[in-house]
Amino acid sequence: MDSSPVYIGACGFSYPEWIEAGVYPAGTRSAEMLGLYSQIFPVVELNYTWYQMIRAETVERMLASHRDLLFCAKLTRTMTHEIAEDWRAQAALYRQGAQPLLDSGRLLSVLVQLPPFFRRTPDNRTYLAHLLDCLHPLPLTVEFRHRSWARDSVFQGLEARRVTLASVDAPPLPDLFPALDVVTNPHLSYLRLHGRNLAGWRSGNKQQQFDYNYREDELAQWSRERIPAMRAACDAGVVLFNNHVAGQAVHNAQTMGRLIV
Amino acid sequence: MERRIIHLNIADFSVAVERLLDSSLKSRALIIAEPSPRAVVHDMSDEAYAEGVRKGMLLNAARNRCHSALVLPPRPEQYRKALERCVEHARHYTPLVERSSGAGHLYLDVTGTHRLFGPPPDIGWRLRNTLRRDLGLDPIWSAAPNKLVAKVASRLVKPRGEYIVAGGEETAFLAPLPLHLLPGVSVVDLTRLRHVNICRVHQAAALSVQELSVLCDHRARFLYQSVRGIDPSPVQPAGVPGSEFVYCHVFAPDANQEPVVRAALTTLVQQAGYGLRERGLGCRRVGVSLVYTDGVQLTRQAVAKTPAADDQALQHLALTALYRVWQRRVRVRQLVLSCSQLQHPVQQLSLFAAVDRSRERNRQISEACDAIRTRCGAAAIYRGSQGPLIAGAQLSP
Repeated sequence: MDSSPVYIGACGFSYPEWIEAGVYPAGTRSAEMLGLYSQIFPVVELNYTWYQMIRAETVERMLASHRDLLFCAKLTRTMTHEIAEDWRAQAALYRQGAQPLLDSGRLLSVLVQLPPFFRRTPDNRTYLAHLLDCLHPLPLTVEFRHRSWARDSVFQGLEARRVTLASVDAPPLPDLFPALDVVTNPHLSYLRLHGRNLAGWRSGNKQQQFDYNYREDELAQWSRERIPAMRAACDAGVVLFNNHVAGQAVHNAQTMGRLIV
Repeated sequence: MERRIIHLNIADFSVAVERLLDSSLKSRALIIAEPSPRAVVHDMSDEAYAEGVRKGMLLNAARNRCHSALVLPPRPEQYRKALERCVEHARHYTPLVERSSGAGHLYLDVTGTHRLFGPPPDIGWRLRNTLRRDLGLDPIWSAAPNKLVAKVASRLVKPRGEYIVAGGEETAFLAPLPLHLLPGVSVVDLTRLRHVNICRVHQAAALSVQELSVLCDHRARFLYQSVRGIDPSPVQPAGVPGSEFVYCHVFAPDANQEPVVRAALTTLVQQAGYGLRERGLGCRRVGVSLVYTDGVQLTRQAVAKTPAADDQALQHLALTALYRVWQRRVRVRQLVLSCSQLQHPVQQLSLFAAVDRSRERNRQISEACDAIRTRCGAAAIYRGSQGPLIAGAQLSP
């Protein structure tokens, strides 16, 4: 059952520092980056959609100009980190904006990344359940950042909804959601590797938080056992590197590609 | 390296500051205007806007449209302080922070700061969060390759939101938009283009400079660049706190006679000159804003190589700016003079005897006037320039 595809890529593609790191050639403009990225990886996680609402016209342009690329997209912060009063309307807008991706069949998943302060409380459980319902029929992945969500009942709830639980690789901090290989959706597994920068994780500066270069043996911890297990349980898998600083995500993703045959 | 500009726009800035200072004003319709019968609306809240109140409208007309609105006099000093605090926060990310002519607008040039602070959208988002947390303001932010595109992006999401335009996407981003969203495109330009059924950016972008010059004369080059999202203008860093003097004149009645407008400008120039000399400063940039009867507001500037402080030099700059901005035949309701880029004037002594007698005489008159103003008040004396203004005022019903 090891034959299901695993798509490897990075979280985001538009980083000026990737020019300095040699990932993109000198003089590359932002609009050209996705084209160059698509020559390296088969999948990208759109992270600009966390900052601003996804727009159908932008997505259509991306789909038209990058015909083989697969997409994951982050859910906008107004539904995760800064929950707006009109979050239902925001969810409707998001569905509308992501519709071209869904129609194209190239949307692997929408990532609902929840912040560390989003703990498992009755209110938050209710909110999350309603949010997931509102985002239907988008394929969804939930990433928790607080360990209070690491419970079987949560996994069963996700499984019942066919929502993927994001596996994460992050620094070993006490409150962080642990690194698990639980599969809750038979269609997709989703692994995000953030780096293990213990000192930088809570610095408040993303340049420090995600500044980490994985050693090959650290990547092998995933590639030897966990990824094959997840692969066996799913139709497809996504492995995305978030340690974007200085292009480390690209180099680590390429190494991971070699390790996962 | 590709430029990355962040535009912050705090919608209805004066209202936002007033509400910060007095929380009981929240969700109440507000109009900011001088409490005089001929006053024009300086700013208004969303609630007043929804009732039809617009900037530049006569206060009486605004009151008729929104009876429930509370009218507050503008407090420029408070607005300036609030904006200065915003600038301080922005300077954490870059020294290149520009205060735009409209209140509540800031441009940040964050080119090359990614290693320190990450990608520009992250800076925009973090700065907005800081301003929300520390000042209670909720700005729109946009990130784009230049000021023009950033401002258009902000306009698209007003009154709240954010917009990111990647470098290289300027043309595609602007193409479907209506032309009036482009900053600097005047009513005259829009009218001329509309005569040939050109209302959208992509329609104008299909024209060459030569074709545009047939329609819009000397504005062709500017329009050609604007519709393509080309704007090489740099972000001009803000000066020290309090680095702008602003003087305002409201005409009663509205005026379009040149002597009357020039007289009002001369009066403002004298006030500005006194204010500058009193502080031992000169200014390099003089801006003139005209608010027309129909509410349209236009601003243009003139810049000198060396800081000016005497009335004659200031008058020259002010007149240059006035004739740049005064392109319409509609009557003018309000005239605003702003002096910025303040510096200590350089006083190079001449090796030879002073030959410019009129200049020396002018300086002496200014000194004498300043001495009287210091003793008796800033409005105690003006040079003989107010005749047309007084005559104009006597015509009012």
